[in-house]
Amino acid sequence: MANTIVDKIIKEIEAHAPSTQAAHVGAVTAVGDGVVAIDGLSKAVMSEVVLFEEGKGKPLFGAMNPPAGRAGELFGLVLNLEEDGVRAAVLGDTARVSEGMTVKSTGRVLSVPSGEELLGRVVNALGEPIDGKGPFKKVTLMSIERESYGVIDRKSVSVPVQTGIKAIDSMIPIGRGQRELIIGDRSTGKTTIAIDTIISQRNEPRETRPICIYVAIGQKESKTARIVESLKQARALEYTIVVDAPASAPAALQYLAPFAGAAIGEYFMDRGRDVVVVYDDLSKQAVAYRQLSLLLRRPPGREAYPGDIFYLHSRLLERAACLSEEKGGGSLTALPIIETQDGDVSGYIPTNVISITDGQIFLVAELFNKGIRPAIDVGISVSRVGSAAQKKAMKGVAGGLKLELAQFRELEAFMQFAQDLDKATADRIASGQRMVEILKQKNGVPIPMEMQVAILYAAGQKLFSDVPVAQVTSVEARLSEFFETECAKTLAEIKATGMLSEKSKKELDTAIGEFRLAHKELFGGK
Amino acid sequence: METAYALALWKMIEGGMKPKETVMKLREALGKRGRVNLTPKIARAFARIAEREHRKRVVTLSVAREKDALKAEREVKGILQELGVSAKDMKVRVDDSLIGGWRLEGRERLIDASYKELLLSIYNRATQ
Repeated sequence: MANTIVDKIIKEIEAHAPSTQAAHVGAVTAVGDGVVAIDGLSKAVMSEVVLFEEGKGKPLFGAMNPPAGRAGELFGLVLNLEEDGVRAAVLGDTARVSEGMTVKSTGRVLSVPSGEELLGRVVNALGEPIDGKGPFKKVTLMSIERESYGVIDRKSVSVPVQTGIKAIDSMIPIGRGQRELIIGDRSTGKTTIAIDTIISQRNEPRETRPICIYVAIGQKESKTARIVESLKQARALEYTIVVDAPASAPAALQYLAPFAGAAIGEYFMDRGRDVVVVYDDLSKQAVAYRQLSLLLRRPPGREAYPGDIFYLHSRLLERAACLSEEKGGGSLTALPIIETQDGDVSGYIPTNVISITDGQIFLVAELFNKGIRPAIDVGISVSRVGSAAQKKAMKGVAGGLKLELAQFRELEAFMQFAQDLDKATADRIASGQRMVEILKQKNGVPIPMEMQVAILYAAGQKLFSDVPVAQVTSVEARLSEFFETECAKTLAEIKATGMLSEKSKKELDTAIGEFRLAHKELFGGK
Repeated sequence: METAYALALWKMIEGGMKPKETVMKLREALGKRGRVNLTPKIARAFARIAEREHRKRVVTLSVAREKDALKAEREVKGILQELGVSAKDMKVRVDDSLIGGWRLEGRERLIDASYKELLLSIYNRATQ
């Protein structure tokens, strides 16, 4: 065995003819903070990958056995083309770069691997596996920067993304191919909504289940590890890819991570599959891009962000699409997350991303602290295209819900000052309070669409009107169990048809009546 | 500012003006504008430009042992012609880490025909 290898090597060395293939090179003239200035490389193109030659002058053994943490090739990404050289971001440890180092042009634009093999894996912003499960064998390289699909290639959003969250699926529905922003202060449940959406895809049929991609940008490694674990436990990791660019990663990788996520997703979209990509979060990507731009000496603009910060996000989110049947009918849904400071949605980055996306789910710290979770402010949350994709059954039961809740919020504020309320107002407030309780939901427990429809139908039939507000949640939980056991057929029909037929309504009415009879104690003995 | 002056100085010399005359004229111009203080900085910037331009022109042929130089020079003759480099613009240096073969670097080009490069590529193919 050993002899065969040795013979092979001898043959290869003997057959060695001096290569006259000239590589296009430059030399590092300055290094600092993840950015290098390179003299030469006059034929380099924008976003080209360059290779730093670390082994120059080192003995063969040293080049073959680099010190710990310095293994693997070190790449850079050309970001500035200047008169007498280029500036590039180092895609790795800057400490490995030294002045005078030779830099080779690779002639290729940055791309990441994608394919079925990536499902269930955790990769970095360059698509390299970081979960210790070994390298990929058969992958397709996807360019990180790609022009988005044009008008002709797209069709209107028509299929919903079921988030499994009652408040969202009923009032702010998201369609496959839509861009829905999740915005709010820190610790208001933004990531939870995204993760629940991923977990909820488990309820979708295997053939049409969207591939989920979670892109963690500038997050703590511990948080990402926790998310991966919760996805694993919910058996959602098998159809999910995690792209991780932690807070400890160089700014260049944090800037690239969302593009890598989009590129990985496009592989599946081009093959007619549906994809949901979560960018958690784009405010951190903007900060990383600002850092990079300042180091590249690009002129700073508002809040020191570079002039193309809007284009950074618009070109990323424009890659979300619902493709026409001619193009395979795939879709890429983008769920970007933006963190606000003290509820201020009028900041530079939040307003940019709000204007780019097709709607936003606004989370409020005040509601979150009151225990109303998900802490969605229904008044300013909106989905501009999702309602077209909402199932008829859901549309039927959730029609007036948003208006009712918005009115309740207004009355609730007024209620603090009023002593005596007329019956109509008091009833509306009581009904609103119950609806808020019904829409409360624990994290990690997404509810299938048909069950949401059944619960909201029951609420519409005033089932909860004589339940004390504090007990609405527990009654709703029991009702769900009851529906699961007693109305399995009806629920299956709603799921299959997406409609709430008269027959289904009758069956649900009967079940509600039976539930009432069986649990008289919950309804004050009525 | 000093870089602009240094670049102007370089271009004038490149254009055929005598260095001494160019420097004199530069001093006069600086004096008129009250910028004589910039002179040392301009000199340093000029040195940087000169070094960069020199690097651009010079081609280095690295060999593992001195006795390999002649053979390597013969082998790179055609390549030098292609690059438009005359033999006098080529520096030969010994780099024993190459093990054998040669490596030609300069004018934004790199041709690595060393044994080290070959062995490394075999090693990388075997271990990846």
